[in-house]
Amino acid sequence: MPLFFPQEGASDVRRRYKPDVIKGDMDSIRREVLEFYASLGTEIVDKSHDQDTTDLHKCVTYIRDSASGLDKSNLCILVVGALGGRFDHEMGNLNVICRFSYMRIVLLSNDSLIHLLPRTYCHEIHIQTSVEGPHCGLIPIGTPSKSSTTTGLQWDLNNTAMEFGGLVSTSNIVKEEKVTVQSDCDLLWTISIKKL
Amino acid sequence: MDLMHHSSTFLLPTIPLHHRPSLTYALVVLNQTLPRFAPLLWKHAQLRLCADGGANRVFDEMPLLFPEEDASDVRLRYKPDVINGDMDSIRKEVLDFYRSLGTKIIDKSHDQDTTDLHKCITYIWDFAPDANKSSLCILVAGALGGRYDHEMGNLNVLYCFSSLRIVLLSDDSLIYLLPRTHHHEIHIQTSVEGPHCGLIPIGAPSRSSTTTGLRWNLSKYMSTLL
Repeated sequence: MPLFFPQEGASDVRRRYKPDVIKGDMDSIRREVLEFYASLGTEIVDKSHDQDTTDLHKCVTYIRDSASGLDKSNLCILVVGALGGRFDHEMGNLNVICRFSYMRIVLLSNDSLIHLLPRTYCHEIHIQTSVEGPHCGLIPIGTPSKSSTTTGLQWDLNNTAMEFGGLVSTSNIVKEEKVTVQSDCDLLWTISIKKL
Repeated sequence: MDLMHHSSTFLLPTIPLHHRPSLTYALVVLNQTLPRFAPLLWKHAQLRLCADGGANRVFDEMPLLFPEEDASDVRLRYKPDVINGDMDSIRKEVLDFYRSLGTKIIDKSHDQDTTDLHKCITYIWDFAPDANKSSLCILVAGALGGRYDHEMGNLNVLYCFSSLRIVLLSDDSLIYLLPRTHHHEIHIQTSVEGPHCGLIPIGAPSRSSTTTGLRWNLSKYMSTLL
């Protein structure tokens, strides 16, 4: 965080950007970092005994079940650093959003954002053209789709089948400010983030 | 069911002489930061292709991997055999440079239905004699990370060409398909890879997968991405 504010004192920035919770199996966090935030009052939730779920999974269940003082009726979880790096980590993160498909979870990297479009809904995606696009895609990540339909894309789908090994909608372009998607299976929506 | 052997010998400084399977490597460079072991992949490959802007990467970044050498010497040494793609990313001076060195330029700008990687794989598929296809292994540098739809498009190429050995590589990981039509033996090159690994049922759920040799082996478990 201090690197984003080079004109300010690093310790001032660190105090301003104090996490509410640090959660996980604690095998990566440096000792001095843990102590620094603990001393500022950050809640430390040590789940090192739990090797069955990823750190992201632990955080999502914490937010869903435990976080007090949070209005959960319209919750959206933004996940930074979810993509790139080790591929098995990235896939594990992807699996978290598939498992928690009833929650709004957005995975973010410098280049892209992704979130799930559950099959149980018709979807309207309002494109924020100042910050995202035009490159986008729809990915049948877990199962083949027999029929998907879209509007608002350069290459719209029209009851089109999609599956790995066949058609997967990538390098598509957003054409309108509203994109609609309807499918018989959960699709992953991805859109590029503009270099701001 | 036949057995298929896998081994990341392309990450070793030299490939052992009597190593099985004996493979011929082709390298495709995509438009992402070159992995730090790109020169090693280049050395093992008998055919080197750049997919469109991948040529920019070779031009700009190979010299950075040899900071003690003169940039132009490095560029002459790391000359791709082919540049293939829709040519909307490669810089003009890079294209001219490699063309003047004799690199074959295949302009597929009319083809907007397939990704640049897909075009390169098709080229290699058409180029390789049928007899050699089973011993061919295509290494793809810069396949992961970056724009997520590109990454998924690259992943899909593995499935579209499931009869070809294709390895997607980044600085952190490598991935390849284990087709369901075979049993698989993966010989781990512990000096260069691991220990972190995974098996991912992308595209369709798996009702039954079985493994040995892992910390958490699968045994008739249902493995699904929901």
